Parts: sequence; C-alpha cells; structure tokens
Amino acid sequence: MNLAGAIFEAKRVESNLLAMMKNRLLQACAMAGVALTLWGCAGSGDTANYEATDLAVVLAGPLFEGPNQGQTQFTFSLAAALGKAFEPGMKVRDARIQSAEVLPGDSLGFANVRSFVLSFASDNPDASMVEAGFKNPLPAGVNRVDLDVAPNVELGPHMAAGEVYVVLDADLDEDFWDGDRRFLLNLELNITY
Amino acid sequence: MIRTMSLWATMAVLALGTLSFDVQPQTDPGDKLLGVWEPSNGRARVKIDRIGNKYYGRIVWLIEPNDPETGEAKTDKNNPDPALQNVPLKGYRMLKDFVYQEADDSWTEGTIYDPLNGSTYSCIIKMTDENTLDIRGYIGVQALGRTDVWKRLVMPSR
Repeated sequence: MNLAGAIFEAKRVESNLLAMMKNRLLQACAMAGVALTLWGCAGSGDTANYEATDLAVVLAGPLFEGPNQGQTQFTFSLAAALGKAFEPGMKVRDARIQSAEVLPGDSLGFANVRSFVLSFASDNPDASMVEAGFKNPLPAGVNRVDLDVAPNVELGPHMAAGEVYVVLDADLDEDFWDGDRRFLLNLELNITY
Repeated sequence: MIRTMSLWATMAVLALGTLSFDVQPQTDPGDKLLGVWEPSNGRARVKIDRIGNKYYGRIVWLIEPNDPETGEAKTDKNNPDPALQNVPLKGYRMLKDFVYQEADDSWTEGTIYDPLNGSTYSCIIKMTDENTLDIRGYIGVQALGRTDVWKRLVMPSR
C-alpha cells in the first residue's frame, strides 16, 4: 500500500468511527428522550385529597415507661374516594401525607406522653413500613397535637393495598398498669392516580 | 311451659358460655417470635410485635438513652430522610416487614436498620430455641452478612 492509499484508508476508518459515534450519540439522545417522556408521564396524573378522620388509636395496657404501640386501620378504595370521577383502570400511583392531627381519646389527654411517632404499614409484600410523622417533644398543656409530617415519604403502595395499618407510638414517662390509653387521629393525604 | 323454655334457654346460654371458655384463640406459628429480645451487645432491647401479617421490632430500651453531647434523648440523627432525623431512637422500629415462612421455620423478607450509620440491610431471623434468635443482616446474598444472637427477656409482671 502506498502513502496515498494509507492516508485514504486512515480517513475511511476515521470517517467510520465518526459515523459510529454519531449514531451512538443519536441513540443515546433518543433513549434519553423516551426516558424523559416516561418520567413525564409518571410524574403527571390527577390528584385528590383524602381524609381519614376520627381513627381511634388504642394503646392496650399494661403500658410501660418508654415507647408503647397504638394501632388502628382504615380501608382505602380509590373508587369510593373518587366517586363518579372514578373510571375503570384507575389506580393509586402515589400518596403523600399532608397533615396528621392527634386528639385526646380519654380523660387523661396527653398526660405523661413525651412524644408521638406515626407509621404506615400494610400486608402488601412489596411495601415496607414507613415513618410518616412525629412530634418530639410534645408541647406542654395542649389539647391537640399537629404532628411534623414527612411529605417525601411514599405511601402509595400501602394505600393501593386497600387495608392500611396506622401505627401511633406514644413514648410515656411512667408505667400505666391499669387500663388503656386512647387517642383520635385525623389524617390528610394527597393521592395521585 | 314458658318457665320450661326459659330454663332450657338459660341452660343453652350457660352451655355456650362454657364452650366459649374452652375454645382457645388461634395463634399463628410465627407468633412465637413475639416478645422482648436483647442483642448480644446488651446495649438495647427490642420488642417484636405483629402488625397485619408481618412482624416488626422496635427499640424499647437503650443502655444509653441520652446523647452524651447534648444530654437530650437520642434521635435517629443518621436517618437518610432529614425530615425524620428528630424521631426518637427509643421506639424506633429497627426490624421491619418480616414474614413467617413455615417451610423452614424462619422469618424473611424483612430488613434491619442500623441507627449508628443510618443503613438498612436485608435480614433473616431463625429461632434456634424458644429463647434464642439468630439475626442475620446481609447485603444482596446471605453469604455476605453477619449474624448476631439475641436472647429473650421476660416481661415484668406486677
């Protein structure tokens, strides 16, 4: 091969490489475009506010100094929540907590309660229990407690399961051997479907 | 006649009442995990409860409940979610979402949380005897993990 032939061959290889890189770049751009479109679809969707109110949380005695578990549950149905707006095929895509309010459920009120932690769980095997709110410490002398909620926590898989377990842990500063402690819980959630 | 029927009705109610005392509540075989357990380092105690069909363990006692730097009760300051870093550590559920597998008498599908670094690991629980648990935390495959032995504590009675 003479010098001109070698130069021609080198240019041909360079040209092929450039064409290949251009194709790869176009493919990458196309894939990024598809991913962005999918992400855009996933991020959109209609939203609705859902309230679960007067949930009776019972901490069954005997109770000991320290954290004690209270539990309640509610059933969520997207069809029932949306009413006439519901269409077949709609499903819960996301759910976030907006607010959580605790009220006294017995004459003891919030006496001897140091803090609350609110968690969500369900029997959905693909969903893990998550903490979604807390108040630590409890302000003194209040007759209602607005929990500090974590709006980034994903509750969708639990809401989609239908039966939602709501756990309210109360940290007590002394033992309660006799009787239970009771609280009422009001929740507000934002549902994307 | 009315008195006779009333007598029979009373006897029937009494019999039903007696029967109801004889019926034992059904318990899930996985419920033997319920109770208070102490990890091998003795620095915490964890109470395991069931919620729905899964098992969860929360810290109910810490040998050092307060942060030595602040003097305040320890919080989950290493939680990856900043909104939850002020959640009290006492009461925190470090074991989550365990499902009992009758086939090999173990609790799987769960996770264990290490509050010292805010990391969550896959975990499997096996009961070697009624008062001893092997708790194995791992990453990816069970071979890449560490097993800790937990002992059951007897709850205080009045």
